[in-house]
Parts: sequence; structure tokens; C-alpha cells
Amino acid sequence: MLGRKIARHGVAIIGTALLGGLLSATMVRLAPGFDTDEAQIDSHLNSESLRALRESRSQQNNILVFYLQSLKRASQGDLGSSLTLHQPVSKLLRERAPLTLRLIGVALLLSWGAAMTLALSAAFLRLYSYDALATVISGILLCLPAAVVGLLSVLWNTPAALAVAALVFPRDFRYARNLLGRAYSLPHIITARAKGLHELRILFWHVIPVAGPQLLALAGVSVSLAIGAAIPIEALCGLAGVGQLAWQAALARDLPLLVNITVLVTLVTLLANTAADLIGSMVGSQPA
Amino acid sequence: MTKLTSTRVLPNLVLCLCLGLLTPSAFAQGELRFCLRSEPKTFDPLQVEDDASVAIRYLTGGTLVRMNRQSQVLEPELAQSWKVSKDGKQITFKLRSGISFSDGTPFSAEDVAYTVQRLMDPSLHSPTGDAFRSGPGKVDTKILSASQISITFPAPVAGLDRQFDQVALISQHSPKKEMAVLGPFMVADYKPGATVLLKRNPNYWKTDEQGRKLPYLDSIRLDIQPNRDIEMLRFKRNEIDLINSLDSEYFDKLASGSPQLVHDAGASLDSEQMWFNQVAKAPLPGYKKAWFRSTAFRRAISDAINRDDLARVVFRGHAQPALGPFSPANRFWFDAKLKPPVYSPDASLKALQREGFHLDNGTLKDAGGNVVVFSIITNSGNKYRERMATMIQEDLQKIGIQVNVVTLDFPSLLERMTQTFDYEAILLGLSNVGLDPNEEMNVWLSSSENHQWNPQEKTPETAWEAEIDRLMRLQSASSDPKKRKEAFDRVQEIVVEQAPFIFLVNRNALSASSSSVHGLSPVILAPQTYWNAERLSVGVIEAQSRP
Repeated sequence: MLGRKIARHGVAIIGTALLGGLLSATMVRLAPGFDTDEAQIDSHLNSESLRALRESRSQQNNILVFYLQSLKRASQGDLGSSLTLHQPVSKLLRERAPLTLRLIGVALLLSWGAAMTLALSAAFLRLYSYDALATVISGILLCLPAAVVGLLSVLWNTPAALAVAALVFPRDFRYARNLLGRAYSLPHIITARAKGLHELRILFWHVIPVAGPQLLALAGVSVSLAIGAAIPIEALCGLAGVGQLAWQAALARDLPLLVNITVLVTLVTLLANTAADLIGSMVGSQPA
Repeated sequence: MTKLTSTRVLPNLVLCLCLGLLTPSAFAQGELRFCLRSEPKTFDPLQVEDDASVAIRYLTGGTLVRMNRQSQVLEPELAQSWKVSKDGKQITFKLRSGISFSDGTPFSAEDVAYTVQRLMDPSLHSPTGDAFRSGPGKVDTKILSASQISITFPAPVAGLDRQFDQVALISQHSPKKEMAVLGPFMVADYKPGATVLLKRNPNYWKTDEQGRKLPYLDSIRLDIQPNRDIEMLRFKRNEIDLINSLDSEYFDKLASGSPQLVHDAGASLDSEQMWFNQVAKAPLPGYKKAWFRSTAFRRAISDAINRDDLARVVFRGHAQPALGPFSPANRFWFDAKLKPPVYSPDASLKALQREGFHLDNGTLKDAGGNVVVFSIITNSGNKYRERMATMIQEDLQKIGIQVNVVTLDFPSLLERMTQTFDYEAILLGLSNVGLDPNEEMNVWLSSSENHQWNPQEKTPETAWEAEIDRLMRLQSASSDPKKRKEAFDRVQEIVVEQAPFIFLVNRNALSASSSSVHGLSPVILAPQTYWNAERLSVGVIEAQSRP
């Protein structure tokens, strides 16, 4: 049963990632200035060199042909070469992925730590002023654009992971608070508290089993939120991660690089969501 | 008398000791840190095209000759001497002996021949190589001895010896290929997107006047940082030691607090200019094409732009009104006969009225009754160009012309400029302009793709373009500097008369450096601050005070 579910998820992940790659390639192809290169206005280049430059760009004009060829190459382990950085895409991703993974990992730990602490204490204490304060803080952070958070991080010289966490935290907190608040409002939990059951026992035996699967789903969504936040933060803070690479690739219309990053990000997001889904269903299917 | 002598001896002794401390070992402690604005695309010096790679080539590459960025005079480097043939086709170099690449591989004439042959390989499409390609045919290299080589080009190359300033030599035999260098520094580490670390080349051949080995610096750390605001912030935090090219806004901010940290070397070779679309097949109404192809219209627009204000307001006085295609900073090639542009909206309006334009309720209309309105596009994110476009909009409003300012990201702008020709006027700039007009052949020749106002003309569409073609070819084919200068002076005059490009300002070369950097002497030619990198040092005194 579980095996079939994993297989179904696997097919969905691969299908979605491939579709995501194609959509990304199509969007880049349709973007204005797709087949231009700054070198075209280099007055040192003669007409033969300029022609060669144009030809190298025009090879990607037919997006379907480009994509099928890319897939064929990818199946042989070759992800192609970046048009702007003149380096193999696989090398670029390999070099930059650790920084981004570390950034996202630390940011998720920070945001989840803060969100769960505040959400649990808000649900547990049920104090209006405390809840309002936590809501205002998360509301302010929710209103701040990623660029502003990034610039503040640079200005105050704070770790970039804190900036990513600041962008992910308000979403995590709001969902977690609602889920936990709803769980604590259930009649059997109110009864348990009235009977004087220990709070930790209530939390682990009654609240978590109710809110757990949804919190796990939220964890999956947090990963995609963190990836989305990492792109502008890396670009603004000058961090050499996959996010910065994606930013540069988008600005330079670097098709091979952008398609591969899209597929990679799609894969990571889907895997995180699937893992959360599978764990959630396993936890949910266990007898209470 | 004796006492007097002794009182002099003691300070002298102290001075000598202090000077003694300023020895290579003291200089060697330093690491210079500054930012590259983009990722270097290549470390192969023959394939360099982007600014970041050019910077690394300058710091690591050994050349046969080097243009002294301060005196603008060509000086011997790895070539002790050289001779260019009268027909401008052949150059013979006498090389220094006993020199090795950074990995210890000996340097000889074979390496020069190998470099030139690889550089001129048509399949390489090297911008540096293309500058030597003045006619069809192969380049012949003849090794006369281990330290002498002659190179013969199929056609005369104008300023042949100067072109070798850009040719960093590579080794034929080194297993490290292009990573074996002859320059003062070598690439020691590269973290993509983050840092390029250059270390001192242990085999660098040069010494200073006291016989000390150069370079003084131990290493140079180049941080890749495209964001100028962050670069400035890092400079203020002492995380980097210099900013090679500083915005005028930041220059003033720094100057107000610490004037000793900033340097204004005066007008540079870089220019800002606008031009109208004169492409016959451009998707524009016929009457607009007629305006843009009219010399009187272009001249009138040029006269109606207040360049002094552009320099004063947009660049806060750190720019000079442009006189023509070449900046006065280009000492040899600038045409001193060019007159400063005169801002005169009244004269401009009268000139337009002579051409059939007329004012109707403050709006300028052409003879056919069409309202004179056009858009200027420029690249988004460049606040100086955006401000210049806005000021031009205000200037032209005074003579009844309505200008719309449009900003586009660079790829979109390039598409319009080079492929669809769907634009009316463009405001852009030229940076890292070379000294020799030959480097701009592809801009001035009417058949060229970079003849931006009307590229790839099958035959010159106007008499003045035909004349520019003739003069550019004449100067290119001549090896006589005087004749070349005469021809290019005339080109400059025609360009000012016909205004295909409306040159606006020449930006000043602004830079900033921390007080711990020694030996700096900022100049107007790129690289403005580290042109003498081998003689720079960092934090000498501080290094000595450490136990």
C-alpha cells in the first residue's frame, strides 16, 4: 500500500518537474531579449565573430527541440553549459548547492523554532495581549518585501539565514497558531485540562496527534517558501548559492541554467511536500 | 660640530631603520581586497571579453609591451625592444631572457608564436584577436632565435605595437596551460560567485629601483559583488580596500566625511551619448524617420540639451560636457579644434523653424502638422542615465518637443537596438574605451553591425558616412601617426557636424581607497586604481607593529 503510494508520488514528482522545466524554458524563450548577448555591442568583435555569437544563441530558438535535446543529454548526465558563465551547469549547481541547503536548513530551524514556540505559548496561555503581540510581530514581517528584509540584513550585517527565517516565520506562525488553537479548543482537550491532566501529556497525547499531520504539511510548504525567499536574499547579500545563480540566469536569459535550476527547485519542493504527506499519512493512519 | 653631527646621525639612523622596515618582507604582508562587479567568464586571457575577466587578465597576464596608464606611453615589458615595419604589417620583438612562467616553465619566443597563432585562430572568436584582423589571410610567426620573433599580418594593422598591450602571453609547454602566467599575480583560488584569490607570482621578473622583487603585495582578494550599494557598505566597514570605479553620489558622501579616501582623476575616456534610429526598415512612421535622418533636426536636439547641467546635476560636477567622440583625456587622439557645445534653445528652435517645424500652442509640429514627440529608451537600474533622460526631457520641453522616457532591462534594450530596431532614440554610454580609434572601427564603418544608428549599410547611405568610411580606412592602413591623426580629426569633426551620436558628457574617473593602501596613483585609464598593482602595498606600518 505504502509502496504503491510512494510510486504514485514518484511519477507525479518526475512529471511535474519535467513540466516545470518545459514551462520555464518556454517563458525564458518568450522573454524579450532572449537571444541577445552583451558581447554583441563589443566594438572589438568583427562580423564573423558576431555571426558566430548569434548562431550559438539561435540554436535554442526552437524551444521544444532544445528541451528534448536537453532531456536526452540530462539522461546521460550532461546538464549542458551556462551561456553566460561558460561553465557546465552540473558543476555550477554542485558548487553552490551546499551553501543554499545550509542557508535554507538553518532558516527553517530558526523560523520553525520561533513559530512553534510562539504558537504553542499563544495557544496554551490564551492571553489576548500575548496573542495580539505575536500576531502584530508576524503581521509586520509578513508585510515586509523580501528585498527590504535582504537590504536590512546587509545593512545590519546579520546572517542571511536570519533574513530567510524572517520571511518564512510569519507564514509558519500563523498556520501553526491556528492549527494549535483549533486543537486546544476541542472538547476532549478542554475536558482534559479541566481535569488537571499534565500540560505536556495533553500536548503530546492529544494536541499533536490532532494537529500533527497538518503541521507536517506546513513543514513541506515551508521548504518551498524558504527556497523562494533564498533567491532574492542570496542575490542581495551577495551569497554564492543556487538562489543567486537563478537570479543571474533570469536576468541574462541563460536558458540552460534557468531550466535546470527550475527542475531542481521543483524536485526539492515536491520531495519535501511528498515526504511530509507520506509521514503525515503514516502518523494519521496509526491507531490513537 | 661633533655634537651637531651626532644629533643628525641618530635621526638618520632611526630613519634608515624605518626605511629598512619598509622592505619587501614588510610589503609582502599585505592583501589588497576589492570587488569585481560580475563573475569572470574565463581565465583564458585570449578569450577575455567581460570586465571582470579583463581585470584578472591585467593582474595576472604578462605582455610584451604595456601602455603606461599614467603617461599614456607604450613601455617595454617582456619585450626589451620592438620594431614595426614601414608598411605596418610586421612587428619584430626582442625578448627578455631568463624569465619563467609562474609554474617554472621557461619563457621563450615559442610561447609568443603559440600565443599569436592561438589568438588569431578564427574559430576562437577572440575580441583581442579580432582587433588585429584588418584583412583576410593568415598570420605568419617566424622565430628568429630563442629571444627574437617576427610576426607578419596579412594587412597593415594600425597602432600594431599598442595592440599588444592586450595580449597576455600563454605557455606552449606548461601543463597548467593558461593558468601559468607571466604577470605579477596568479590565480590561486576561485570560489564561483564569491571570490577570486590572486597570489604573488614567485617567478615574476620585475624588481623595483632598489632591486626589490615585485610585486609588494602578497595577494589580492577579488570579491564578486554586482551590487554597488553593498560594495560601498563593505568599503565603509573596511571589508574591502578600494573601489575602482565610484559613483559620483557615493564619492560626495565619502568626501564629506573623509576627503582623503576619494580620488577624482578628472574626465575619463568613458562617454554618455544618445542617438536616433536611422534604420530604413525600422518600424517607425515615415515622418519620424525623416526627422531622425535630418542633420538639422539632430543638431537642433544637440544644441537644446544643456550638457553643463547634466554634468553639474546628474554627476554632481564629476563629469565634463562631451565635445565629441573622443574625450580630451585622450591626449593624442582628441581633436583640439573641436569647440565646446553651446546650449542654446533659441538657436535650436530657429534651426528647426528653418526646416519647416513650427510651434503651435507651445507644441512643436513638423511641416506636415505632426506633433514632435519621441521616446528615449535607456537601461533600467542605471540611475544616472534615468536622470539624464529626465533632464533631456525637460530641456526639449522648452522647445515644444515631448519626450517619453522608457527604461528597459538590458537584454530587452539590446533586442530593440540590434534586432527589431523598434526604438526612436537610445541613451547609453561607452565604458573602457580604448585610446586608439582603430578599436572603434566597427562603430564608425557604415557596413559594421555596431554602426548603431544604422547598422550594416550595404553601401554608405549618406555622403558623410562614405567620407567617414574612407577616413577610417585611411587611418587604419597608415602607419604614420601624423596622417592617422589628421584623418581621425576629420572623422571627429564630421561626427560633431552630423550628430549621428549626440555626445553628452565624459564621466570623471572616480575611485576610493582606504588609507592603508600605499602607492596608489589613480588615473583616467582603466584600471584606474590598480594599474600599478605590482607597486601597491597594504597596511605596512600595521604589519610591522605585530609581534
